[in-house]
Amino acid sequence: MIHQSRWRKGLGRLPRNRREWFDKAAFVLLSGIAVLVTIPFFVIMLDVIVKGVPGLSPTLFLESISNLGLEGGIRNAIVGTLELVGIASAVAIPLSIGAAVYTIEYAKQGRIQQMVAFTADVLAGVPSIVFGAFGYTFFVWVLGIGYSLLSGALTLALMMIPTVLRTTQESLRAVPVSLREASLALGATRWSTTWRVTLRACFPAIITGVLLAIARVAGETAPLIFTTGYNAESPWSIFDAVASLPFTIWTFATHPSPIVNQKAYTTAFVLITIVLVVDIAANWMSSKIGILVRKK
Amino acid sequence: MVTPKVEIKKLNAWYGDFHVLRNITLSIMPNTVTAVMGPSGCGKTTLIRTINRLSSLVPEFRSTGIILIDKEDIFHSDMDVYKLRKEVGFVFQKPNPFPLSIYDNVAYGPRTHGIRNQNELDEIVRDSLQRAALWEEVGHRLEEPALKLSGGQQQRLCIARALAVNPRILLMDEPVSHLDPISAQKIEDLILTLKKTLTVIIVTHNVQQALRVSDMAAFLYLGELVEYEKTAHMAEAPKDSRTEAFLTGRFG
Repeated sequence: MIHQSRWRKGLGRLPRNRREWFDKAAFVLLSGIAVLVTIPFFVIMLDVIVKGVPGLSPTLFLESISNLGLEGGIRNAIVGTLELVGIASAVAIPLSIGAAVYTIEYAKQGRIQQMVAFTADVLAGVPSIVFGAFGYTFFVWVLGIGYSLLSGALTLALMMIPTVLRTTQESLRAVPVSLREASLALGATRWSTTWRVTLRACFPAIITGVLLAIARVAGETAPLIFTTGYNAESPWSIFDAVASLPFTIWTFATHPSPIVNQKAYTTAFVLITIVLVVDIAANWMSSKIGILVRKK
Repeated sequence: MVTPKVEIKKLNAWYGDFHVLRNITLSIMPNTVTAVMGPSGCGKTTLIRTINRLSSLVPEFRSTGIILIDKEDIFHSDMDVYKLRKEVGFVFQKPNPFPLSIYDNVAYGPRTHGIRNQNELDEIVRDSLQRAALWEEVGHRLEEPALKLSGGQQQRLCIARALAVNPRILLMDEPVSHLDPISAQKIEDLILTLKKTLTVIIVTHNVQQALRVSDMAAFLYLGELVEYEKTAHMAEAPKDSRTEAFLTGRFG
């Protein structure tokens, strides 16, 4: 604290010696860099807002894409993205949490634990186009699901697993052993302890991980190009093709007509808004973590 | 002749290669408070953690010898370890309430053992908090998070939580070492009340505390039971020079 107040005072007047000059220069440089890294965010947001917002209209949300984007709205793409992300989450969340609980709460320190962590880390670094190619060969062809909502959602699920798995593992590790012991000492089984104490204490952290994973995959185009096909309407079943926002942005942006190009910005605005809402929710949840898990 | 509540016979325990407990034999009578004393690292905590088999949660732990609770061998393969831990409660050194409400902390144990009836749970929660001398302070705010309570209240909540499953024995691992003197005093008073209904085994560093709360005292040194005596006798006339050295504060 003393250090900080002297530091502030020191900035108010001219530096007196070399060390103070150096200190001041470092301060100015670092704050400059800090401001610099936020610029891209504002530039992108400004660009999307300026070019996208004018295109907002009720039609956009009420009508589906028609005539390759020259007419209609993007309802099918919005609904498609929500369905893709919803199904992907329904598949990825239980699998990731199950694997995390097994590795942290049940498996002895050792090979399985290392292998799960290693593969998750590698999977997290795999480029999304590779997931797309895998989804295409495996889900679309080998399993014969075809271009469909299900193929796309399963491909997205694969991309969500590493994030949810790793955040769940980290949060389980952060739960003090004393809490587990308190439960076991009351005669609770390990399962009941995991379910009612450990996972419960981790709940906000897990939700944060899930929301971050959702925010990440909601904007992915590459995994969807080869797996979802295209549908001018909302799919009737999970085996039907489906439209999505990122895919739509891509087709609109590469369309020859400037009218449709402009619509790409509006679509991007809608997608960014969805992702931002999810991110803000994730931030809010992670601010709650401190309340539920005891601070050391 | 009253039968002992807990009988420990030739208990040896290891963590990996480290021989923590050496040939411990000791009988504990019902409705007494037994203080387990000794310098740090002498195996006090391991000894009480073995009585409800919490120590077997550590993979490298192993033991030989027997522990009988009401004549039942706790290491026998027929022993239901969940039932054992329900009957032998544990209070940890550092207060460790769950990040739940006060009510849910106390109700956790009964719920685990299948009690779902709301009235019954309410009854247990109130009774346990009263037995832990906490009801007066928290009875009107049971829905508040347990972590908002002070350290001393949290520790009494942990005692209430342990009492809620109706144990016959309560093991306490230096329960007041993290608390202020007033909270410590409250818990010491509480121990004397609890002894009317159950058997207490308390690990303590503090000789004065042992004198205040315990009937019997066991002195452990480097994993060996050096002396087991009425607390007052031990304090007045320790038989072993190591006990005397400990009691007079030459190590500890």
